[in-house]
Amino acid sequence: MRRLYIGLGVLALALFLLLSSIFIVDEREKALVLQFGQIRSVQEEPGLAFKIPLIQEVVRYDDRILSLDTPAIEVTPSDDRRLVVDAFARYRINDVVQFRQAVGVGGVNQAEDRLSDILNDVIRAVLGSDGVTSNTILSEERASLMTRIRVSADAQAGALGLDVVDVRLKQTNLPEQNLDATFARMRAEREREAADEIARGEEAAQRVRAQADRTVVELVSEAQKESEIVRGEADAERNRIFAQAFGADPDFFEFYRSLTAYERSLLGSNSTLVITPDSEFFEFLKDDGLD
Amino acid sequence: MANNNGGPWGGGGNRGNQGGPGGRNGPPRRPGDSPQIPEIDELMNKGREQLKVLMGGRGGVGGGPNGGDDRPPNTRGTVIFGLIALLGLWLYASFYTVRPEEQSVELFLGEFSSIGQPGLNFAPWPLVTAEVVPVTREQSEDIGLGRSGSSGGDGLMLTTDENIVDIDFQVVWNINDAAKFLFNLRDGPQTVRAVSESAMREIVAGRQLAPLLNRDREIVVQEARDLIQNTLDGYESGIRIVRVTLNKADPPREVIDAFREVQAAEQERDRLERQADAYANRVLAGARGEAAQRLEEAEAYRAQVVNEAQGEASRFSAVLTEYLAAPEVTRRRLYIETLERVLGDVDKIILDEGAGAGGGQGVVPYLPLNELRRPVAQAPQSGGN
Repeated sequence: MRRLYIGLGVLALALFLLLSSIFIVDEREKALVLQFGQIRSVQEEPGLAFKIPLIQEVVRYDDRILSLDTPAIEVTPSDDRRLVVDAFARYRINDVVQFRQAVGVGGVNQAEDRLSDILNDVIRAVLGSDGVTSNTILSEERASLMTRIRVSADAQAGALGLDVVDVRLKQTNLPEQNLDATFARMRAEREREAADEIARGEEAAQRVRAQADRTVVELVSEAQKESEIVRGEADAERNRIFAQAFGADPDFFEFYRSLTAYERSLLGSNSTLVITPDSEFFEFLKDDGLD
Repeated sequence: MANNNGGPWGGGGNRGNQGGPGGRNGPPRRPGDSPQIPEIDELMNKGREQLKVLMGGRGGVGGGPNGGDDRPPNTRGTVIFGLIALLGLWLYASFYTVRPEEQSVELFLGEFSSIGQPGLNFAPWPLVTAEVVPVTREQSEDIGLGRSGSSGGDGLMLTTDENIVDIDFQVVWNINDAAKFLFNLRDGPQTVRAVSESAMREIVAGRQLAPLLNRDREIVVQEARDLIQNTLDGYESGIRIVRVTLNKADPPREVIDAFREVQAAEQERDRLERQADAYANRVLAGARGEAAQRLEEAEAYRAQVVNEAQGEASRFSAVLTEYLAAPEVTRRRLYIETLERVLGDVDKIILDEGAGAGGGQGVVPYLPLNELRRPVAQAPQSGGN
């Protein structure tokens, strides 16, 4: 029995030593084997690896692309218009040895602080450099600016053992205190546009009305002209007819027309004649003419 | 448990639906005829050893009062039971299912070995570990949504003409390469979000405000999709952007009233123009009518005048013919007839020349000519009679 216990104890110890001397490096990480803080070996490839139990320890670092968002900073491009800019970086730990040496036990957190400082510097430097105005940032050249930031940040982050995969600007906004001014300007622009619209509408309306009025006068006066011509022709025709008919015997016409005129002008009850019976009509009123 | 279940199943063994429960019973049986026997044996041995340690410890305490006779069978039973439990546990840890919308990535000792297909998969723990990733399932990131209420929220973006536009959009994505997704990115959704926001801001920064609000929306969506996809491909992220939808591209709340006023002004302009058109139509129609009326009136006048003239002329001609036949008589007759007609109807006062006091004009100045008219209409008539 006793031997069995000893045997079991030895077996357990062996198992423990075995388990603590192998470690698995995941596809997603890289590992450093440290011996009393000194780097003994680097495991960059995934798989099984070994270390000396108790003396050596394993430090694992993420081998995936890590992200870092920088806080918003105000930058002043060369045209002195301030912009609030923030960015994010995508980076991975490229050289674990250098990374360990640079950040020590602080690990990724400390690396993020350092990288954040680098990014802020680089962003300020690139966006504040000669020839970069706020208009450049707010244009399609933004992509090339981002490339410059990335290249520059990558060069500096190399010292940390980091590989900056990408830096992209996120917001490039106006500072809060300029926002109201911008809104006011936008409003003013819209108001101008609205006023312009209405003015143009009134202009068009007035033009249409004026044209209509003009056409009315033209149409009516044209018709008036035509009608006068027609009336004139009618009068001329009448005169011609009369001249033709009456010209046959002007003397009788005079007599006949006068009679017609008497009849027309005196008919009705609105005339009162004061006459003497001396006229031809009353010839027989006084005298029967039989004498 | 296993023994209890075994009884009824054994009895119903002749029935056709044996396959279902048999499937669940399968895993414990399968290792027996599968090539993994050495591993399992190894593990069973390991488990047995550990159990022995445990049993031995406990046995030492409980062994005193009970005596040594009971121990061997007791221990053996416990050990077998423990082994079966361990085996079950191990199988439970080693088998996993992959649903149709998922993919699994298997790591052999931490190293990428294979992609598991949908169905039941076997990854012998602890040598192989598996990560199941939903690949076809669409995931979405809403950007700019809900935060645009406060000014300076992440929906507000600056355009190239230094205007501010409030953009909400949604990026829908899934995973097209589970291994890349797993091994290259620490934070997939967050990366999609950040890249999308950056891409949209970059695109907006290159554009003017006015077209963004309406006709450029489609182009922006397309460009954003391409840019996000390219950036993510640059990270070898294994992410595929399914679509980008632009939910909102509006002026910010602070100025939206002004934009609405512009729309109102556009409508007002339209209204003014239409009103003017209506006026023009009305007035022109009136004018055309009036013109036609004047022309028709003139034509009517022509017809009337000419007809009257012709009538009068032919009447005259007729009378003239008659007159020429007997001039004297006709002339007198006409005269008398006319005066008959005229004097028959007219109020008349006949003053004989001799009836006056002296001279023809004696009476005339004294006649109340005005009063002779209507008020005393009867008097002359009676006088006439």
